[in-house]
Amino acid sequence: MSAATENANTMAPGTNTPASSGLRHNVYRSKYVVAAASVIGGLLVWEIVSRFFIANALFLAAPSQVAMAIYRLAATGELGQHIVISAAEFALGYVIASVLGVALGLGMAASGVVKEAMQPWISGLYATPTIALAPLFILWLGIGIWSKVLVVVFLVLFPVTINTEAGLRTTSDRLIDMLRSFGANQRQIFVKVSLPSAVPFILAGLKIGIGRGLIGVVVAELFGSRAGLGRLISQSADAFNMPELFAGVVVLAFAGIVMTAGFSWLEKQLVPWTRD
Amino acid sequence: MAPALAAKLAVSQLSKSFGDLEVLRGINLTVERGEFIAVVGPSGCGKTTFLRIIAGLERETAGEVLLDGRPVRKPGLDRGFVFQNDNLLPWRTVFANAIIGREIAGAISAADRNSIMELLKLVGLQGFEHYHPRQLSGGMRQRVNLARALAIDPEILLMDEPFAALDAQTREIMQTELLRIWERGQKTVLFVTHQIDEAVFLSDRVLVFARRPGRLQADIKVDLPRPRTLVMKRTNEFVGLVDRIWRMIEDDVRTAALFENA
Repeated sequence: MSAATENANTMAPGTNTPASSGLRHNVYRSKYVVAAASVIGGLLVWEIVSRFFIANALFLAAPSQVAMAIYRLAATGELGQHIVISAAEFALGYVIASVLGVALGLGMAASGVVKEAMQPWISGLYATPTIALAPLFILWLGIGIWSKVLVVVFLVLFPVTINTEAGLRTTSDRLIDMLRSFGANQRQIFVKVSLPSAVPFILAGLKIGIGRGLIGVVVAELFGSRAGLGRLISQSADAFNMPELFAGVVVLAFAGIVMTAGFSWLEKQLVPWTRD
Repeated sequence: MAPALAAKLAVSQLSKSFGDLEVLRGINLTVERGEFIAVVGPSGCGKTTFLRIIAGLERETAGEVLLDGRPVRKPGLDRGFVFQNDNLLPWRTVFANAIIGREIAGAISAADRNSIMELLKLVGLQGFEHYHPRQLSGGMRQRVNLARALAIDPEILLMDEPFAALDAQTREIMQTELLRIWERGQKTVLFVTHQIDEAVFLSDRVLVFARRPGRLQADIKVDLPRPRTLVMKRTNEFVGLVDRIWRMIEDDVRTAALFENA
């Protein structure tokens, strides 16, 4: 009998690897081809419309004109200055909000009192368009970067806090049971199960925060600033300089796409088990 | 019936209610060291709850569970639980999943690591140590589940329908594998299943539970010789025993099937 069971058992390692990578690679490649074609097609339509149908430089700039504007602004170093200021505002606000948000979420998950105390504030402030407070922050903190940092903090903090708390709260009971069956204490359950299973939620919260943070930077700069991409956009709008206005928008869109894509990559590295 | 002094496990007048729902009533049972006990019964007969009380994951409402003469109050490393759903941690490798019980017990030594490697070899997972659960088949995941419980070298193995989710062929392979492993270590096993043939094939005794409330209806000795082979499943003795147990619970199973789908 032992021979029979051993036979059933001689499955060589490697026979169970995920679907062959060559096949997957092809699927991805064709997906990228469609996406690229869609973008190029869209730009082409935009170019044609702005040249032949709405040939009024006060309303619309063609992609070629926008590209020229970006090149011009980059060459003079003006674009670089705006990007550095906006990036600093975003990075500072984003890091502060992430650290604070995860800490708050941990506190809420750990203590019922903390949760009860925080919940009405978080629900209220998450639902409110806190961006409307930007003029107030500028009055308090001045026209420099810190008023914008505060706006970003307000916008990024809540999704991170809410997701961290939700991730810790929704830990699978079955996994907790499994640890309990070995006599695990509360601390061990937290470290070995609750925290790792909350990581995908925390990352999702941080990902939502990217878009909200970018909006925060730009809108806060529109309310009053000396430099930054929002400033570039409002200046160009005042001067009816459509190519430069679009240049600011395109740079922001690019930043959003790159950061979100980078985050998706990071998720694949850190929490590969959530892929399927 | 006073429990014998040498009994590994002695259960007396065990009852359990969840609120108004009476799940177990007056269970009495003695298990000797090294016995393989199967528990069968229709869904809703409280067999899983029975196992969880012995594991210390639930507390009894009345009665007592004695393990080596000491009352069970909470989970401990003297009992290894094999779950119906494998409950593997998706972010851990096979090796890291198997060693988690040892981690909870304290610091991991080099000897611990070696013994886990040996154990993974024993359950047929050699070469898969660094795989993640999502890369494994259902049968392999249950092997990790078993290895994780064996890794703490428990005195009793508590198995809750561990092969229920597997296809018929894989289940038969896992049954013979389990017996092979059990025959080496001679651990005491409590194996809950809803498959009567599985219960008869594996065990020395089959406990038949009745439902609403769950109670011990019969305690049937299985006299088939060991080591067991799959051929035995076609002998008259085996088929007769399965049939006898089936007739005991047939009415209960039909009623259960009418009221719930589980």
